[in-house]
Amino acid sequence: MEAPPNSASLGKQFEDFRSHLNESGNLKDRIRAVAVEIESVTRLMHSYLLLVHQSKPVPEVLDTAKAQIIVLKELYDKLAGIVRECPGQYHGDWRSETQTAVTMLAFMHWLETGALLLHSEAQEKLGLTTPEFGLDVEDYLVGICFMSNELPRYVVNQVTAGDYDCPRKVMKFLTDLHAAFRMLNLRNDFLRKKFDGMKYDLRKVEEVYYDVKIRGLATVPINGNPVGSVLIASVHYNMTMYNVFSIYWSKFYCAFNMVLIFP
Amino acid sequence: MLHIPTIHKFKLSFMATKPQRICHLAETALQVAKRARFMCSTTPTEAEAKAATNMKEAFAQYAQYLNDLNEKRERVVKASRDITMNSKKVIFQVHRISKQNKEEVLGKAEKDLAQVTALHVSRLVKELHGTDFWKLRRAYSPGVQEYVEAATLCHFCKTGTLLNLDELNAVLLPLSDSSVEPLQINVLDYILGLADLTGELMRLAIGRISDGELDFAEMICKFVREIYRKLTLLAPEMDDSYDMKTKMETMLQSVMKIENACFSVHVRGSEYIPLMGSEDGSFSLLTVPDLE
Repeated sequence: MEAPPNSASLGKQFEDFRSHLNESGNLKDRIRAVAVEIESVTRLMHSYLLLVHQSKPVPEVLDTAKAQIIVLKELYDKLAGIVRECPGQYHGDWRSETQTAVTMLAFMHWLETGALLLHSEAQEKLGLTTPEFGLDVEDYLVGICFMSNELPRYVVNQVTAGDYDCPRKVMKFLTDLHAAFRMLNLRNDFLRKKFDGMKYDLRKVEEVYYDVKIRGLATVPINGNPVGSVLIASVHYNMTMYNVFSIYWSKFYCAFNMVLIFP
Repeated sequence: MLHIPTIHKFKLSFMATKPQRICHLAETALQVAKRARFMCSTTPTEAEAKAATNMKEAFAQYAQYLNDLNEKRERVVKASRDITMNSKKVIFQVHRISKQNKEEVLGKAEKDLAQVTALHVSRLVKELHGTDFWKLRRAYSPGVQEYVEAATLCHFCKTGTLLNLDELNAVLLPLSDSSVEPLQINVLDYILGLADLTGELMRLAIGRISDGELDFAEMICKFVREIYRKLTLLAPEMDDSYDMKTKMETMLQSVMKIENACFSVHVRGSEYIPLMGSEDGSFSLLTVPDLE
């Protein structure tokens, strides 16, 4: 049987393809290997940070967790070296690890300063600063959404430990963050889904705030008056989550009034 | 109970719907001094206010970034759809081929293909810079695959050979600005396009057989077999190998269809030829030959 037309050049091309795909496969494996390392560092960080729920003093917790940032940055330097060979191609293979890394950094930053870790600051911390190897804005935003999931639990435990000003601070922060996220035109994707979940965190925090306030536990001024706290709490209530969960809350309100009127 | 004396005021505040009214009620209900002091603890501190403004400014940037990216993605998707649509037209044009009009049909197909390159592929080239090439791959990949299919089909009908990726990319070079790195079709899209090509070649082969061009069908058969053989080696190495796996199965189906058609001609063709009494092979297998 005669050889197929242009068999030689055809064979050559596919031979090239094969070695090309082989190389990319290797690259991918190397990227995955670093991503796994990154994941284990962020998990370590997370386990340290979880101590804040056990009312360990924040500075102490931060010190141990912060020590890992250097390790994390080294891993990203290593990753940069590999990714340089194929900018952008295997982004999906280190995406979710990076989102978690942002979550950890942002949570630490918030515990320390009470402010949001901005995209540029996160880039700086991870050393993801070049256009070929930068922190994707969407990844950053997803990471921030994950951080918001951590806050309701933090508030609950702080209040239990006796910090009654915490709900107000967290509520203020989360309200601002939620408002900021609403400025974004999101597509129907993962980020949108995570953002949609954020309002439940906000609601939970507001509930805690309300509970604390209505009992006059929140930072009460000199000669503090529990009457005032009830009034203000209810006003605040009306204006914030009442809009979002109006049906749910109006039912709750009726029940609550009944309790007050017929104790 | 602690809150019993507050029932009245609490209810008032609940029933009030407008903020002004709330203020008014609060003022009458409470001593002004006490209220003012209380409000102090709910107003944010200076640091908090500053953090909020910072956050807002940063998010305005993110919003801008996301808007730009979404618009770009939308433009890329549109370009990709236009490429798909017009490449399909080129493929249909190639299928209009017959023994008599080969040159004319292929000439038009090539002209149309050049149009696709100039009008639509060029739009992709303009959009995809740097990492966009990979980030937006899902948005443009279907169009590029279809384009590869059309270009390789044209080329095969004309020369009987496979259009190499390098040759194909050479056509795209002039579209790029010389200052930036030129857009090149990547190996993955090229291979995925080739996988689709076999489906079109199968249709072409069946058409040629029914038109009596047995040699052409024979040639297609060999060509497709060879491509299938080469791709079996590459398929598992590809990133989105699931996609490729289904394509490989379809490809095998196509190859077997061509082989079966060639087999039919081979076995039964010898019976028909003497019956028709024609030496040039211009007989039809599918229609019963008319008797003179």
